[in-house]
Amino acid sequence: MIDYLIIPVIKLIVIFGVCLFFIAYTTWLERKVLGHFQLRLGPMRVGYHGLLQPIADGIKNFFKEEVIPENADKAVFLLAPIISISAAIILLAVIPFGKPITLFGKQITLYLANPSIGVLFILGFATLGAYGTILGGWSSGNKYGYMGGLRASAMIISYELSMAFSVIAIIMLSGSFSLVDMVNAQQNGIWNIIRQPVAFFVFFISGIAELNRIPFDMPEAESELCCGYNVEYSSMKFALFFLAEYTHLFVFASLVTTLFLGGWQGPALPGVVWFFIKTFAVIFICIWIRATIPRLRYDKVMKLEWKFMLPVAIANVIATGAVMALLG
Amino acid sequence: MDLIPVITIGVAAVLTALLVIFSKNTVHSALWMVGNCFCIAVLFLLLNSQFIAILQVIVYAGAIMMFILYAIMMLNLRENGEPATKKSLFIFRMALLILFLICLTNLCIGFSPLALKGDMVTQNMDHFGEVNLIANYIFSEGLIPFELISVLLTAAVVGAVYLAKKE
Repeated sequence: MIDYLIIPVIKLIVIFGVCLFFIAYTTWLERKVLGHFQLRLGPMRVGYHGLLQPIADGIKNFFKEEVIPENADKAVFLLAPIISISAAIILLAVIPFGKPITLFGKQITLYLANPSIGVLFILGFATLGAYGTILGGWSSGNKYGYMGGLRASAMIISYELSMAFSVIAIIMLSGSFSLVDMVNAQQNGIWNIIRQPVAFFVFFISGIAELNRIPFDMPEAESELCCGYNVEYSSMKFALFFLAEYTHLFVFASLVTTLFLGGWQGPALPGVVWFFIKTFAVIFICIWIRATIPRLRYDKVMKLEWKFMLPVAIANVIATGAVMALLG
Repeated sequence: MDLIPVITIGVAAVLTALLVIFSKNTVHSALWMVGNCFCIAVLFLLLNSQFIAILQVIVYAGAIMMFILYAIMMLNLRENGEPATKKSLFIFRMALLILFLICLTNLCIGFSPLALKGDMVTQNMDHFGEVNLIANYIFSEGLIPFELISVLLTAAVVGAVYLAKKE
């Protein structure tokens, strides 16, 4: 009873609570860091240096009026944010946050599940999250939203490939699909970022593209599409899209940590602390990129994937295989 | 294996499959098809094959349906009438269906667990979906059909490009 029901439920509440708290504050971090990059202060009014801003935003969104456009496809319009947020949050279940700990004489693992197909699970459900974007754009019956949805699906179809191929190199090194095994395979102190620098760069760039972040934010390019797929959404539905986006950012950062930066491993501090330090370092780099690089043109984004990233990722897999075969 | 979840998911799979055909809106059809892919993935999970289940989700629900949705949206088939179907094709279609069912029955008999040898035996059914087992099978015994299928798929892609470029 305790092992099968109570412990998992407590873990579920703690992991999702902590992660959603961090995700809410990622929005604050993004605004704050962006502000400082642009020589301004960012949110300052609500609480000390705007620390209560995410809560204020949540309350504000809650009380906004809900608008459903007249020529929207109502069922799909309502479904899209739900798909978006649930496909994003389910990914938190397989991320290993730390070493197993012993509490009250019981060994507790710091992840909800460790399926033998962990990394495939993340790749699969991350793609499904894109349905929210596409359907949201299509169903709102708005030209700009429609264009945003179309671009989102083109982006996902292309960048999914190079992302998967860069992960295959890591799978070959660790000999397993399970994220926990991947962290354990980096136990000797040599992280995968050193052994697989090419895979790291391909994964990072395609990850940012899949997250639809600047410089690849084609589906919501403000200057071209006036905010793209979510242009017709208001109130909590918009907030759900927003939250899903930041959940994906958080999951992407923790995936980079797990696959390339040795996961929870590090000296002195407990594993969980190391995990979150590395994760937020990756999130900071993402925000840094957003503040530095302007948006690419649409056809250049596609060219980058099909003519550069994908061939490089495939060559990397072949090279990894050859080296592994030579070294035995 | 519990029968209740299998039957529930089976019924859901059939229902979603029917909805794919009977939805008026093309995008709704595509969405029901995604749902159908999910039901089939759950059926694979119930058969202890996690790997095939997640492949079902990644390849069919993720990639292929994304392509189909993209094509539907590109062509903007949002509101259209019923496409005209030719009544004269009815007999051909029924014949095709019956042929397909016969082939399916033959396949089921030929590939019953008792007829299999090697790694893919009934004793191994509990680990059936494990990656090592599938990889060993595909890259040793199943290598020739596997490669032939990849050649066939490449040929199909080349053919499609040729047909599209002709005009």
